Amino acid sequence: MSVAAAKIEAPYKAGFFTRERLDSFLPPFIGLAVGAILWQVIATIWNQEFFPPITDVIRRLGELTEQGKILSNLVTSLTNLAIGFSFSVIVGVTLGMLMGAFRKVEMALDVYVYAMLTSPSLVFAPIFFAIFGLKNIQYTILGLIILYSIWIIVVNTAAAIRTVPIALIEMGRSYCATERQLFFKIILPASMPMVFAGIRLGMGRAVKGMINGEMFIIAVGLGGVAKAEGQRFNADGVLAVLLVIIIVAMVMQKLVQLLDARVTSWLPSTARQGKRRANAD
Amino acid sequence: MIEISGVSKTFPARGKDAPVLALKDVDLRIEDGEFLTILGPSGCGKTTLLRMIAGLAEWDKGEITVNGTPVRGPGPDRAMVFQAFALMPWATVRDNTAFGLELRGVPKAQRRERADELLTLVGLKGFENRLPGQLSGGMQQRVGLARALAVDPEILLMDEPFGALDEQTRRLLQEELLLIWEKTRKTVIFITHSMEEAVLLGDRVALMSPRPGRILNITQVPLPRPRAAAVDQIEGSAEFAKITANLWGQLREMQTIRVHAGEEPAA
Ligand SMILES: Nc1ncnc2c1ncn2[C@@H]1O[C@H](COP(=O)(O)OP(=O)(O)OP(=O)(O)O)[C@@H](O)[C@H]1O
Ligand SMILES: [Mg+2]
Repeated sequence: MSVAAAKIEAPYKAGFFTRERLDSFLPPFIGLAVGAILWQVIATIWNQEFFPPITDVIRRLGELTEQGKILSNLVTSLTNLAIGFSFSVIVGVTLGMLMGAFRKVEMALDVYVYAMLTSPSLVFAPIFFAIFGLKNIQYTILGLIILYSIWIIVVNTAAAIRTVPIALIEMGRSYCATERQLFFKIILPASMPMVFAGIRLGMGRAVKGMINGEMFIIAVGLGGVAKAEGQRFNADGVLAVLLVIIIVAMVMQKLVQLLDARVTSWLPSTARQGKRRANAD
Repeated sequence: MIEISGVSKTFPARGKDAPVLALKDVDLRIEDGEFLTILGPSGCGKTTLLRMIAGLAEWDKGEITVNGTPVRGPGPDRAMVFQAFALMPWATVRDNTAFGLELRGVPKAQRRERADELLTLVGLKGFENRLPGQLSGGMQQRVGLARALAVDPEILLMDEPFGALDEQTRRLLQEELLLIWEKTRKTVIFITHSMEEAVLLGDRVALMSPRPGRILNITQVPLPRPRAAAVDQIEGSAEFAKITANLWGQLREMQTIRVHAGEEPAA
């Protein structure tokens, strides 16, 4: 009680640095700053080949960028990611909705979806590679991105449809909604929060699938650069690429999150925060 | 006019549960413009009966007609107010209110106007753009009532609409419902657990018995109308006390019989 009161009474600055902005920017900023300093200090004292200081990593990142290795490969990777992930979202959400809406579809497909969800998708990489070969390397990467990300989207969407409150569906029926109206005006909006939870989880997995494919199957894109650096025992190079990958993943997450916040802005803020925590993969 | 004749319903056995004879030979007739309250212990089949009239549930035997037409599903002549409000959390108060009109394809400007009109009637002017989650329970049920009134149904079906509200809010809403009903004179079937509520609102009180649910008897409520402006006076009257005491006597007897029969009394 007293803590809450103190919080409210604390003076806050007007202008750009409003209380709210500071509250949302400051903690992650401090977290990152402390992390970077710790990294630098430990790496300098420990002085190990495989754990270079962050300044070396950033220097190496600059070199790689100058050599034109980052940008072109970033474009390659991002293109694959965009195509593969879009496919996952469109097909995954559609399939999930069919499974959630029709008991028989679910009964028929449940086994496959859960098998694919829990199996390590990387085992399919050699198969894709055998099918598509060197000529269509991109398809192997796309296949991996899709396999990594689609199942969690399917499962979440199906659960979202199944858990739409019966009371709302009954309300719709009582006002003479057609099946079509029930779907578009009640089931679809009601299921959006959980569908987006699935999409956000899928996003993280898509990035993993992409990098795994690029590093362990065919050296292309950012993963390819990381692999090449690794083979030359360039720890600072590997970490430099990793840094880029993490930034890519975070930007993508943020984009999905922004869209989510727009579509499900009606959720009470506490539910949203809980959801965000639950989504940390 | 609503006519329910010889309606029975058994819920089939599910798993270890035995089949439930929820309603047995229910006969009931509700005149146009009448306010009928249905009173009965928990689990006696009140909701089941109302859902049947709404066209949301099926029955095994008997017939339900509205103005002579057999009920085969939901219809525009009936609108329901739900105990748990059943508002769409993503839609504004206005959009929730206009939902029935939207489903019927009423143009946006028109349904907006109609929704605002009803929101004013239920005392929610100024809250049109809020989301349901930002409202108190009492305000949410006002939206539920406005939504039902918006489609201008002949018949309002209300399933313990104030059951989830606190005592003060409930009293305010009872008064408001009386006021609205006295203006519109719709046919109302109103389910409640509360004897006071049943008597205060109804022209007649139908008393239901549990398992199997039947209409035990119907009490005429000779209290004068309009009642909205005289709620305190009515509740303080000897007539009111007599009717509620009589209903309570019968309800208590039902519970006692069940306890003696070794059954748990309904909560
Ligand atoms: N879908 C169902 N399947 C099986 N049994 C059901 C179903 N719906 C209701 N019942 C049973 O039918 C009986 C009547 O239920 P109903 O919900 O109509 O009671 P009620 O009078 O509205 O109770 P309350 O006052 O608690 O709301 C209960 O014994 C209940 O367990
Ligand atoms: Mg009920």
